Amino acid sequence: MAQPGGKWYRLDSAALLYSALQSEQYSAVYRFSAMMDQPVDPAALQRAVDRIMPRFPGFGVRIRRGLFWFYFEPNPAPGPFVRPDILNPCPPVRFGQDNGWLVRFYYYQNRISIEVFHALSDGGGALVLFRSLLAEYLRQRGIPVPCGRRFGVLDPDKPPRSEELENAYARYAGSQKGRFGFLPRAYQNLGTPEPFYTLHVTMGFLPLDQLRARAKSYGASITEYLSAVLIQVLLEKQAREKPRRPRPVALAIPINLRGWFPSETLRNFITTVRPCIDPNLGEYTFPEIVAQVRYFMKLHINRQEMRAEFTTKVRFADNRLLQLVPVVLKNPVVALNYKLLGIRPYTATFTNPGAFEVPAEMRPHIRHMEVILGQATVPRADCAAISYGNIMEITFAGTQKETETERDFFRFLVREGIPVKIESDRP
Amino acid sequence: MSYCVHCGVELDDQARRCPLCGTPVVDPSAREPDREAPFFASRRVEVPPVSKTELALLLTGMLASVTICCSVVNLFVGRTVAWSLYVTGAAAMLWFWCVLPLLARHLPVWARLTLDVGAIGLYVYLISLALRGKWFFSLALPILAVAAALALGLGLALPVRGRSLLTAAALVILAFGVLMLGVEFFWDRYFQGRWQPGWSVAVFLACVALVIPLVIVRRVPSLREEARRRFHR
Repeated sequence: MAQPGGKWYRLDSAALLYSALQSEQYSAVYRFSAMMDQPVDPAALQRAVDRIMPRFPGFGVRIRRGLFWFYFEPNPAPGPFVRPDILNPCPPVRFGQDNGWLVRFYYYQNRISIEVFHALSDGGGALVLFRSLLAEYLRQRGIPVPCGRRFGVLDPDKPPRSEELENAYARYAGSQKGRFGFLPRAYQNLGTPEPFYTLHVTMGFLPLDQLRARAKSYGASITEYLSAVLIQVLLEKQAREKPRRPRPVALAIPINLRGWFPSETLRNFITTVRPCIDPNLGEYTFPEIVAQVRYFMKLHINRQEMRAEFTTKVRFADNRLLQLVPVVLKNPVVALNYKLLGIRPYTATFTNPGAFEVPAEMRPHIRHMEVILGQATVPRADCAAISYGNIMEITFAGTQKETETERDFFRFLVREGIPVKIESDRP
Repeated sequence: MSYCVHCGVELDDQARRCPLCGTPVVDPSAREPDREAPFFASRRVEVPPVSKTELALLLTGMLASVTICCSVVNLFVGRTVAWSLYVTGAAAMLWFWCVLPLLARHLPVWARLTLDVGAIGLYVYLISLALRGKWFFSLALPILAVAAALALGLGLALPVRGRSLLTAAALVILAFGVLMLGVEFFWDRYFQGRWQPGWSVAVFLACVALVIPLVIVRRVPSLREEARRRFHR
């Protein structure tokens, strides 16, 4: 198999999914932003992008359609170019347009943003690129920032390493596949759809120490606590709607596999877990929900189960029969598969890539970080969180008119004694 | 620094209302805020839709080459019958069905249906030409028109949001009954010169007999609840 940096390379099993799903009405794009201490200098940012992109060949690719599968190949087009920021973040990528680039760089006032098509990389990989870019940008502004793998800042002068571009799913796939079966349909939390391209973004900023202390008072981590809060408000919302048959509330929580399967890959290497509360079983108090989520995560996040989980996906792509079906016919099958296995069993996505660590020299120049998930296939709010320093940033993004989910979520945190500051692009 | 009185969250200095609950921010002693740049960018950009012209051209080329090849072969093989007209008609029909939606993507239902039915009409007309029959204008075209009108009616009535399954089923059954009446009407007119109601009336009445219980179940709440209970999924 050709490796990145060479002529062309295959998509990994997550990338196969995202490339098949990317369509008129769905955007498998996410965004990270850094709020700097000073207004952004676009020329310096462009110089930084130009210097950093050759170091990350896995991002400097375009996607092409083969007969049986899509594939990546190095993009010889000029760019990518930095551009002024836009109101509606994470618009879908169009293969072949925008010179074929699958990453975008934006600037607005003090904010530098990067948008990445999910087929290229997961949040863990994209944050390495972003961190290295911010370091190079500060260097371009005359601030010396050291390079070090310890902080995930890669040296743009060194050649890319093959370990950064491996297909870690294929490397760690075992022999035993996971259980394949349909998960029960979850509460869908659908709102009134706005026209496409209207991605409403609401951000909440919280003090991390207070949030951590509050989570600790329930004996939970921040991710477990915030997931439990989200499940709680979604349960209450469903109860207010008085459905004939209440559905379970289930979250899709992406897990970075690099912590369990040592890999330096900058491509996709995640799986999801599905903590779930079924209101048909009776009423759960909030501490019970926290405990449920906590024990669920403890029970299911282990090497063996997660390996079986992604082995199923790797083997799915290895299926001889499926391989021989042309890609134009395969895409609808994959899309239907995603609808049944990736949308119906979940109420919302909650992702927390964790703390954004940078070298000490960079710290005074970044105020806070932001993360946004692109538009889902259905009008509902997805939640993402990232922390930097003592600021935890939580974003709700979706195309629905209603603000109930985010309103109840932040009100809940305020009632828990955590101060929240809100920024929103809603008029 | 302002807070929402309902949500208790801190708001942006420039916020006129809480983005979570819409409550206006009222602070009589507030100074006119400095016009700082808003927190989010205001430039709105839309990605152009995926171009389907390439695919449309490819399909058009394929259909055209098939048509031309068959027309040329028809000059040498089976010259007594213009059989290539079948192929030409089929290609034209496929073009209207498959390629036109790629080029004109926001066509209203009625326009698309008219074009699709027109394509079928054209195909049937070419068949009638190949067979040298005179049945097209007096038999095929009226039946096609009735079918198209019914399909348009159903196409507009069925996708209405919240339309009950019972009503939808009743409408489809009724439309089928009406179509059968039309088929027999034009059939009789063509072959016998006048309408002699026969089998189609039986079909229509059977359809009505099916529709009546559906309408009753739809109308009576207790029956509807019973049906829901018996057929719940």
